[in-house]
Amino acid sequence: MSKTTRRAFLAGAAAAVPVAAAAAVAPAAADKDNPAIKTCPRATGGKNASRFPQVLVQDQYKQKSWFYQNLIADKLVLVSFTSVRGEDYYPVISNLVKVRQLIDDRIGKVGRDVHMYTVTTDPYRDTPEALRSLADAHGADWPFLSGAPEDIREILASFHARGSLYGLTWIGNERTGRWTKKPSQLQPLFIAEPVARLATGKLHRPFLVDMHSV
Amino acid sequence: MAKRRDVLKAGAVAVASTPAIFGGAALPRVAQAQLCRPEGIRSPLTEPDSPPVTPYSTPLYIPPAMSPIDPATLTPPPDPNRHQRFDEFQPVKFYEQRITEGLWNYHEQLSALNPLGYGSLAWMWNGATPGETLVARYGEPVFVRRYNDLPPTESALIPFGLPYITTHLHNAHTASESDGFPMDFFGPGEYWDYHYAMMYARNDPREALASLWYHDHMADFTATNVYAGLSAMTVFYDELDSGDENDPNPHALRLPGTYGKYDIYLILHDVRFDSYGNPAYNVFDTDGHLGDLITVNRKVSPYLEVEPRKYRFRIVDGGPSRFYELALSDGAEMFIIAGDGNLLEEPVSATSLVMGPANRQDVIIDFSRYRPGDTVNMVNLMEQVNGQGPTGRRLEGPDRMPVMQFRIKPLEGPDNSRIPDFMRKLPDINLNEVVAEREWVFDHDMGLWTINHDFFDPTKIDAAPRQGTAEIWTFRNAGSSWAHPVHVHFEEFQVLEWNGRPPTGVLRSRKDVATLGPNDVARVFYRFDDFLGRYPIHCHNNVHEDNAMMGRWDIVPDNGGDHGGGKWHR
Repeated sequence: MSKTTRRAFLAGAAAAVPVAAAAAVAPAAADKDNPAIKTCPRATGGKNASRFPQVLVQDQYKQKSWFYQNLIADKLVLVSFTSVRGEDYYPVISNLVKVRQLIDDRIGKVGRDVHMYTVTTDPYRDTPEALRSLADAHGADWPFLSGAPEDIREILASFHARGSLYGLTWIGNERTGRWTKKPSQLQPLFIAEPVARLATGKLHRPFLVDMHSV
Repeated sequence: MAKRRDVLKAGAVAVASTPAIFGGAALPRVAQAQLCRPEGIRSPLTEPDSPPVTPYSTPLYIPPAMSPIDPATLTPPPDPNRHQRFDEFQPVKFYEQRITEGLWNYHEQLSALNPLGYGSLAWMWNGATPGETLVARYGEPVFVRRYNDLPPTESALIPFGLPYITTHLHNAHTASESDGFPMDFFGPGEYWDYHYAMMYARNDPREALASLWYHDHMADFTATNVYAGLSAMTVFYDELDSGDENDPNPHALRLPGTYGKYDIYLILHDVRFDSYGNPAYNVFDTDGHLGDLITVNRKVSPYLEVEPRKYRFRIVDGGPSRFYELALSDGAEMFIIAGDGNLLEEPVSATSLVMGPANRQDVIIDFSRYRPGDTVNMVNLMEQVNGQGPTGRRLEGPDRMPVMQFRIKPLEGPDNSRIPDFMRKLPDINLNEVVAEREWVFDHDMGLWTINHDFFDPTKIDAAPRQGTAEIWTFRNAGSSWAHPVHVHFEEFQVLEWNGRPPTGVLRSRKDVATLGPNDVARVFYRFDDFLGRYPIHCHNNVHEDNAMMGRWDIVPDNGGDHGGGKWHR
């Protein structure tokens, strides 16, 4: 397998790169003469934009997007994490397929009202083809994201993901900037419920199952 | 309590001259924001500092006691069917609280920065944070109706937190439906009724609680909602601890009082403010949240004018994640009279107070050693660099964090208060009553915090002790670098063994927060009585709690059946 570098990834994507990212620029280096101090372009245009890197990702069909601006900003999202190898040790996709079904049935249409993404924790190995096989094997139809390893590492870091196994699903509404997170192996109700709770407008509901004591 | 000295002091000095890439703290703020370290995982050391604030320049806010209302004004009236044992403990004091979003003056230098108006954004009780203090008396049951008047999520101005709330009175002996269970939340436009029976556990006056606090307990959003302002204090009095230092009753201890004058409650929250003077919070850090300014009763490092006499200070670490070692700047002696809000048998002399989130300590400080015009500061000596727990090192010299200042003024009257030799006897521990032992292991897994290797699921009953029985619980911290203040609702425990040895000093008390240091093991004695229902056990580092470090346990009727007795494991 050939190593994907950020430059090659960007070059290969040149024609297909979405245009939304023009506003994001790399800030001036803190110390231009010190090669150990790197700078990173930040996303712009959303509540928590500055907490996310401005990077390109591609899904299992090789559709390319700017991670924050195209996929997160102004959306109700669930961002989960796994890898082809990680699924053998800590499987999460089959549970997330149930979550997807529950959201579709009880909250809103996945892909239109609610957006699910799975980011690879193994960007050095996981190609779009491998992630497509993984998704298809579970009947998962939401984007499985890979990209240049250093870019994916930055996305992982922004979600506090360390190591190649990371069992959290982050649930966020970037219209309000409010986020929470749930273990990806938790029973599907308790992953879907915060989606309704964080939703705004007609999708908003405080709970899916009333658990009040009285 | 062992306090490790600053053995790495030489190392700490070296850090300052280390290239900025190894920490970033030495870089100017603009440069920090541009480093290849997404802001979501910046350590607290590299979060932007709060705007500059002059310590000891704002007066301490002392919340007044709650004002009772006429119960006839409650519409609809209280519903006895919503509460266990309501008819038996009919309320005699009624209160109402409205929770709203608004501006709170943490400090004039912060308030002046806000384009929204004078003050910092806050969620408040009846327009203040901390809310009014619930001052109650054993034998006088209380009813509180709390209205959620917060704006809905889309229009709330506080950018973290969720405007759904549930209020826990920590750690009153309260029926489950009034205890603020995380799933008993209510949203904007709704209200919830709380019934506090004001009964001693097992009707035993030795089980009296004295210093409590009430705070939000919303599922997944406790840390953020409390940080936004939803915390306040509660004082329970009884015949022994009557709040009157001139009490003619021969049984009364005559501790410094009354509430708000010589009996003063201090709640500590460390807060980080943004450039507009509003509280700032990083929701993407699951380790914990650290503020760079210490607020006392939601005033940044305030001052209090005191007479040269004895005062009782009830101090609670309101979190979310900071541990404290509090000391007076002259190293003067204090007398600890209560641990986790419960009177000790005998006062403990100390020159510093070690506390984790939700720990309470009542101390008597005698200012008669000072002269009018003198000042003495309370400072924090505990070093902590991230949300996981303290480093074990002690801050020295100018690194000590300002907490508050006492300014001595002339004496206004006689001090008839006392520091008694003996206060309240501890209840007996009868190990023959123990029907079960359980172990609770606090650890970290896949980026979240776990109890017994599992994540919080409010439908899963992790333990079901039978009403009227006793159990031994073991709290084990499996982490070797982090600390967990373990809190169990409803009942107080007594320590049998801490790391294999019997308790001494302030550990010899009834407690509700076991502050576990790395690898600590506490073995404690519990009894379960008086009410039925579901209660949580959780880490009171609120950020850990919101990140799944919580379990549910239920008190079930003792019908002779097997309800999970025996050592619990999965």
